Amino acid sequence: MTDAASSPMLEIRHVTKRFGQLSAVKDVNLAINKGEIFALLGGSGCGKTTLLRMMAGFETPTEGAVLIDGQDVSNVPSYKRPVNMMFQSYALFPHLTVEQNVAFGLKQDKLPKAEIEAQVHKMLGLVHMNEFAKRKPNQLSGGQRQRVALARSLAKKPKVLLLDEPMGALDKKLRSQMQLEVVDIIESVGVTCVMVTHDQEEAMTMADRVSIMHDGEIMQIGSPSEIYEFPNSRHTAEFIGSINIFDAAVQHVSPQLSQFSCPDLACTLSVEGGTNAVEGAQLGVAVRPEKILMSRGQPQQANNWVKGEVLDIAYLGGHSVYHVELDSGKVVMATTTNMDRHEQRLTWKDEVYLYWSASSAVVLYQ
Amino acid sequence: MSKLGVRSVIAVPYIWLLMFFLVPFLIVFKISFSEMQYAIPPYTDLVTWADEVLTINLNLGTYAYLINDDLYIRAYMSSVRIAFFATVCALLIGYPIAYAIARADTATRNALLMLVMLPSWTSFLIRIYAWVGILKNNGLINNGLIGIGIIDEPIAMLNTEFAVYLGIVYAYLPFMVLPIYTNLVKLDNSLLEASADLGCPPWKTFLTVTLPLSKAGIIAGCMLVFIPSVGEFVIPEMLGGAETLMIGKVLWQEFFNNRDWPVASAVAIVMLLLLLVPITFFHRYQARELES
Repeated sequence: MTDAASSPMLEIRHVTKRFGQLSAVKDVNLAINKGEIFALLGGSGCGKTTLLRMMAGFETPTEGAVLIDGQDVSNVPSYKRPVNMMFQSYALFPHLTVEQNVAFGLKQDKLPKAEIEAQVHKMLGLVHMNEFAKRKPNQLSGGQRQRVALARSLAKKPKVLLLDEPMGALDKKLRSQMQLEVVDIIESVGVTCVMVTHDQEEAMTMADRVSIMHDGEIMQIGSPSEIYEFPNSRHTAEFIGSINIFDAAVQHVSPQLSQFSCPDLACTLSVEGGTNAVEGAQLGVAVRPEKILMSRGQPQQANNWVKGEVLDIAYLGGHSVYHVELDSGKVVMATTTNMDRHEQRLTWKDEVYLYWSASSAVVLYQ
Repeated sequence: MSKLGVRSVIAVPYIWLLMFFLVPFLIVFKISFSEMQYAIPPYTDLVTWADEVLTINLNLGTYAYLINDDLYIRAYMSSVRIAFFATVCALLIGYPIAYAIARADTATRNALLMLVMLPSWTSFLIRIYAWVGILKNNGLINNGLIGIGIIDEPIAMLNTEFAVYLGIVYAYLPFMVLPIYTNLVKLDNSLLEASADLGCPPWKTFLTVTLPLSKAGIIAGCMLVFIPSVGEFVIPEMLGGAETLMIGKVLWQEFFNNRDWPVASAVAIVMLLLLLVPITFFHRYQARELES
């Protein structure tokens, strides 16, 4: 019917899910390509888990359809879907050994015993857990359990792999190590993967594309760098990383440069590129803290600078975050990399000039 | 806490068990080796001191008597059989009840648990007596069935083995439901979802995940029903009539009707040894579960 190469592996069409009066997911549309790692990112209660559970078949959509490989599976129970999930708690069967856990799904397909054994061995090899095959889940560490859970969810060669907060149960150090390892494994298998997380770092490290969810709706979809560098709304901008947003009015627009007036700044705010807003419109102009430079003397540029006083410093080792209070009372964050160990750094109460280039700022319409 | 502190805390239940369980047991054990006599107390002393001679009279005849008279063997067999099948019935009825309660939402769950426990607030004796009124020939069921014309003659239900089963299952059902419920309510729902996710339809998930994971509850429930059922006296006495042979009744007769304390004691000791088998099995299982 459709071209296999171009049709998405997983499609969400106008899906709405209501629990009583509450709408957990509101008219969501998504198309996830074959072999892609896709992250649903959002705070708690944003509907990301409900959406994932509808993909797995644990919930049925109130409206709309879920399509896997072109087939409508909206009313197909989870045990008949070509989808496997790695649960947040891993949900390993405590009464079964590691290899029995991995074999569990294969047994349901009534495969010959030798084939099951071979596949279990292959999967445990993939996650480097073959030597723990005879152990019970409670004899494993958190990281080992996750490996087994991953092996179990990959064993049936699902068309789509679902990960629910994959690193949620691990401590921070193990987390960053496992993030890359899990991505390597998923990519080596070549499975399409949808993950749910509230941790932006995790989403950006692991996923090819990220969608930001808020209040049951998808705010923005894009690659991690698109989402970070070109947020399309205040919510996305504030959710991913930290950002300074200036409330500004459109002054002059040309295709190369847009200019804004802002009550916090004495000079004009300029942003590279045109906008489709009319003059006088109230918008947000956002600048990430790492794109703001600081100096003691007044910068040599006409636009995009402001004077303030250092209010607070967060020293984080590799870099420091300065909170600078402007004359208007607004607090702006700026980060500097601590390159020199003996450098005379700015300190509390210092007067400081903040400046940035027109290409660093981004216009937020909503 | 200091070692002494720990010991003194543990000592309290130990002393309690020693005083009120082990000592009475030893007394019963001692009586089982004496001979009956018409006196107060109605049995001979094991150790006598007369004319500067210490005599120990250890009478093993009572135990030999128990083995030789097939009444006792039949009573033991029939008690174990009735307790076994009653336990199976209680499991088959109790498991779905426990499952339904564990799956219900929290508010209904507490109400349902209350309903399971509520009957125990009435005296056990009265509840069993109520069954007499329900089951007898001109009782609730027979009168009702005759009244609406389904039967002409009353069905004999009271004083049958059926009534004993009914009584035991009815009386001990909460002891089956509660441990299984406690077990099922802890069952992580994501395990059931994982099973479905891996391709198990609900009935298969029940067999491969729910049932094995509630094994500890099933065993505990079965023990709590089986063990007291073997020695049950009130239910076979009130509902079972003359034909139902159970060891609890035999024990009562030996003790009160025949006033043969040694035989009654021996009957009790043998019953205890009989029950040690499932109890040890249960403890072994628990120890193994704790290890893994």
